[in-house]
Amino acid sequence: MIDYVITGITSGCIIALGAIGLTLTFGILRFANLSHGDLVGVCAYIGLACERFFYSIFNNIYAAAIAAAIGAIIGGSLIGLGFEKIVWRPLRGRGGSLVAMLIVSVGIAIASRHVLMAIAGPGLYFYEIPPKIFHLGDVRITSVQILVVAAAVAAMLFLYYILQRTKLGKAMRATSDEPALAKVSGIDVNRVINWMWIIGMGLAGLAGFLYGLQSALRPGMGFYLLLPMFAAVILGGIGNPYGAMLGGLTIGLAQDLSLIFLPAEYKIAVSFVVMIVVLIFRPRGIMGKVT
Amino acid sequence: MEGILPYVVTVLIVVGIYALFALGLNLQWGFAGLINFGHIAFMAIGAYTMVILNLYGVHWALAMLIGLAVAGGAGALLTIPAIRLKADYLAILTIGFSEIMRYFFLSEGWLTGGAGGLIGFSRPLESIVPVEHYDLFLLGLIWGIVLIAFIALQRLAKSPWGRALKSIREDEDVAKVLGKNVSAYKMQAFFLGSVLAGLAGMMMAFYHSYVNPYYFYPIETFYAWIIVILGGSANNRGTILGALILVGVFLTGTRFLGPLVPLDAYTFAQLRMALIGVLLIVLMLYRPQGMLGNRRELTF
Repeated sequence: MIDYVITGITSGCIIALGAIGLTLTFGILRFANLSHGDLVGVCAYIGLACERFFYSIFNNIYAAAIAAAIGAIIGGSLIGLGFEKIVWRPLRGRGGSLVAMLIVSVGIAIASRHVLMAIAGPGLYFYEIPPKIFHLGDVRITSVQILVVAAAVAAMLFLYYILQRTKLGKAMRATSDEPALAKVSGIDVNRVINWMWIIGMGLAGLAGFLYGLQSALRPGMGFYLLLPMFAAVILGGIGNPYGAMLGGLTIGLAQDLSLIFLPAEYKIAVSFVVMIVVLIFRPRGIMGKVT
Repeated sequence: MEGILPYVVTVLIVVGIYALFALGLNLQWGFAGLINFGHIAFMAIGAYTMVILNLYGVHWALAMLIGLAVAGGAGALLTIPAIRLKADYLAILTIGFSEIMRYFFLSEGWLTGGAGGLIGFSRPLESIVPVEHYDLFLLGLIWGIVLIAFIALQRLAKSPWGRALKSIREDEDVAKVLGKNVSAYKMQAFFLGSVLAGLAGMMMAFYHSYVNPYYFYPIETFYAWIIVILGGSANNRGTILGALILVGVFLTGTRFLGPLVPLDAYTFAQLRMALIGVLLIVLMLYRPQGMLGNRRELTF
């Protein structure tokens, strides 16, 4: 039981990190970005490439691991900015509606996953960081689990600082609440959107790295996270990053606790059921406000 | 059959199956403006229900009817949680549903044969049609169904029912104010579209004499989306043309290119799929109305 709780919290942290970017996009650009999951997977592989490269230079596995994490984060931010410049901004300029964005995000998801598969192949990869196992009485905790939770907490504190204490954060929250009003009060909306991609996709990159660390890297890994991340976003109230964190933890715990009485294939169904229940009974989410 | 003929028959059968599948999506998306990202689930439900009943000794015609009802019913049920909500939720719910159904067919081996799939079910008129001509018969059957579906959909689109669907697509609130039961219309569109998907799934099962969960990946749904958008949303003719171009020209043609490109088969197949994604992006950016679509009839 306690083992399920620990893995649940670990997966929950990863889902939460990924869900933040998703809910920021949902809040500021108002569309469901279906490419978010697959791009989390791409970031994990960017981390892998950085790890292998730095290991070949420094021959130190810990330096390589740090390089992998930083590489995944920066890679995520650059991918986010890149798609903003190549696809999203031109599409908004042409008056593309939310539905158009939704469909385009599917195109990005398909294209990026299959380019990844063409480059990396179908096999499994692992980061080469040797896990340590600690025993606290009867409880088993791995160094990976500790690292995931610590990194997630640090990232969330960082996000809290940005959103609550900086001018950029204020601008982001204002744009999310009322884009038209934000624009007329002199907020540079395009700059806010750029930073939204940098922060959201950077956290998605971190999520990809941690997810790869927790399990293994395979091309479908990101898509597998998409449904839990959406469940977290909807549970937490769309556009609410703190809600998404709480939602992510809840979904992670619920999924792993379901293993006690359900076969592992149906883990993903838990997210689906949570989503339907929330949509029927509390469409604004547990922390959502009236919009 | 000799020479190139069997190959042409195969390609046209697959084009017909995808055309039928995409016509269902066009009704939901093109006419009613409903975003179904899990269309493949209803293909799978229709095919599996028919095959399983058939294997339990139910006559193929009755098994087909029940399969269509189950596929349609599942589609209608799925709209309930999302019907009052924004388009995005329906998209997420349907894509999630299609993945869960795939896991279901994969893991409930006692019912569905699991990853090994199911074989040995009877096919329509198998006792009358000689085996060596069965593919030709199936070709006629599938395109006959496509033709009937096309005519029926054209008539529906021009009927008061079709106009009500379009008005919901254009502005739900206006339709509501005019006294239309918007939820019921959406549910009916989802029901009919899912029935067509189920029928396409059954034809695929008949064609392969086999079903397995690997036929039903989410990418198949997006093939249907490309077909509909390429042909022009809300245009049934365009949907059939789109199926011909995507399956008959793009997917078949690039297969011939394989040996000419200095890449191994796996990498080439992946890049082909990636190109599908790029095609979707480029279409939405530069020609959202597709080939035959009407710019003013677009929801985007």
